[in-house]
Amino acid sequence: MKKLDFKDRFLYPAGTVFAVMAVSWAGYFGSACLENDALHQALAKVFGTAYFLSVAFGTLYVYTVSYLRGASPGERVLASAISPFIWATKENLLLLESYGILESIYWYLNPLNFWLTCFMALQMGIGGIVARTVLRRRGEAVTGVTPASLALIAVSVAAVVSGYAWGKGENLYVIFLAGYRALFGYGI
Amino acid sequence: MSKYQASKGILSDIISRRKLLKLAGGAVVAGLALPGLAVPARKKPAKPNIVFILGDNHRADAMGCSGHPFIKTPGMDRLAREGVRFENAFNTTSLCTPARASILTGAYAGRHGVKNNHTPWNYRMTTFLEYLAGSGYATAFIGKWHMPGKGLPDLPFLDLFVSYTYREGQGSYFDCPLIVNGKDMPSRKSYISEEVTDWAVEFMGGKHRRAGNARKPFCIYLSHRPAHPPFTSPEGIAGMYRDADVKSALPKVVDPWWFGKTRRNVFQGIMMGSYYDQYRRYCETITAMDREVVRLLDAIDREGLRDNTLVIYMGDNGMSWGEHAHHGIRESYEQVILVPFIVRAPWLIPDPGSLRRAMALNIDIAPTLLDIAGVGIPADMDGESLIPLISNGRAEGRKAWMLEFWHYYPEPTPTYVGVRTDRYKYVEFRKGRKPWLFDLEEDPREERNLYGTPEGEKLLPRMKALLEKLKKGR
Repeated sequence: MKKLDFKDRFLYPAGTVFAVMAVSWAGYFGSACLENDALHQALAKVFGTAYFLSVAFGTLYVYTVSYLRGASPGERVLASAISPFIWATKENLLLLESYGILESIYWYLNPLNFWLTCFMALQMGIGGIVARTVLRRRGEAVTGVTPASLALIAVSVAAVVSGYAWGKGENLYVIFLAGYRALFGYGI
Repeated sequence: MSKYQASKGILSDIISRRKLLKLAGGAVVAGLALPGLAVPARKKPAKPNIVFILGDNHRADAMGCSGHPFIKTPGMDRLAREGVRFENAFNTTSLCTPARASILTGAYAGRHGVKNNHTPWNYRMTTFLEYLAGSGYATAFIGKWHMPGKGLPDLPFLDLFVSYTYREGQGSYFDCPLIVNGKDMPSRKSYISEEVTDWAVEFMGGKHRRAGNARKPFCIYLSHRPAHPPFTSPEGIAGMYRDADVKSALPKVVDPWWFGKTRRNVFQGIMMGSYYDQYRRYCETITAMDREVVRLLDAIDREGLRDNTLVIYMGDNGMSWGEHAHHGIRESYEQVILVPFIVRAPWLIPDPGSLRRAMALNIDIAPTLLDIAGVGIPADMDGESLIPLISNGRAEGRKAWMLEFWHYYPEPTPTYVGVRTDRYKYVEFRKGRKPWLFDLEEDPREERNLYGTPEGEKLLPRMKALLEKLKKGR
């Protein structure tokens, strides 16, 4: 497998998803300003869907492409995490309107980010299998399905299923709030 | 009017007028016909029974009687038909826990100290239930307590205390584990509103009371879980608004697929379904609660208690459904601070089925109920008895009151304090935002912030002075 330069194996895949996320974010919120309701509704659906896909499923694209371009495991994970991290950080910045820096940082532990991390891990597992299968078809001596990929998929699916089964995820939020009170009291 | 306010001299120009109105209202209650005032239909019971019903996150316009395009609320509609509905009823803090403490204590959150949903009940003030218990009432608190702390509080004056601490005190819609007078107990009915209504009906019939209390007048505080997320209704109601024209009830900014599933991030809560579906389920959950209001009113009739029982339905706070691109509670927008408020008291209301336009507050509940029961209103209550307004549709209410909010993690709304008059709303934020000043008569949707404009500059000194007065009186 040929290792492309940093720009091609890291920046382009990560940047592509980030660009989709940024444009669709602007398009989604911008569409709400339109007087024409039909146009607003149509654009909101298109941009909202693109925004969701870029954040929730962008990892599959970034991880797979960067793998095929010779990125190291660390680079693949980092490139995959850029857009979700920016997306989550946007919310932390919003919290600064009301809270201190430490409380804003604590927001990274919220259950939504837990789900997102599980989905990212799942996609990395799948992306690894997809990339190795492509490489194998190209004639490289690699195994398509590895125990590590299967383990990553199994653990992430188990975390999602068990987290949801336990009170439809509400209990995770309760724990998150209890942790907040333990660290920051009532916040006032 | 509380003694506290009188002693502090807040808004003295208003108070003198209110004193007169209170006297006039009292005369009506006593059955004395005054010129220009209607005569009450029935004799006032010495110690009326009291049933106070509280909904959760229920918008004032989400009832049939308030003109909603499709929701069905025959119970609330009946209450409004047989009583009066306040069009301008507000909560003073738009968050569940402090709003509930304000209802129980008759005080602003700054006084009772339960400032956000993380702050525990602190026993700083006495609840109206305790005052009523002390004056010979059998009392019951049934349903959502929703104030944090180590378990439920110790309220030994109650005959019956049915509540739950499950999931931050929110409980669950189905098979919610209960705590009844301090003991864990499973739900007897599956759906939470049916369960708590059963307890209320049984208490009304004389059950679950202390020895010697079976024949005493009663006060029931019945606090429902609907309509708090996740919006869930029982069989027979779930899906009933599937074909309703939801779009007609929501602002244009809303799109069905993505809006409001997030805190400005687009996909938080995606498992909840489309926004239109969420709103349908919200309405269904209110209808599910209303079905229990119907059942409770029927039970009051069956027990022959209609003519001597005060029934109130109120919401703890409203909720934005897309207005200002906002979803939820906390903000000071009208959709959030307005609450449904209906009162039925046959001996007190000369014009059943009519509206009241004067401003009423959640902090008025406690003094009103004490006044109704003939119990003196304590000096530390900020609220006022609403009897003059309930009994006289032409009575003028207060001219201004205070909005309070303390930030509640992790919600992105800064701490604020403000004043709401019959025309203007002025809000100061502790950090993060410049003040808001709206002329609600010219701009009822609150789309044009006058702060920093020439028009706003003229209004600002008056608003600031009014706010300072209210803060001092708190």
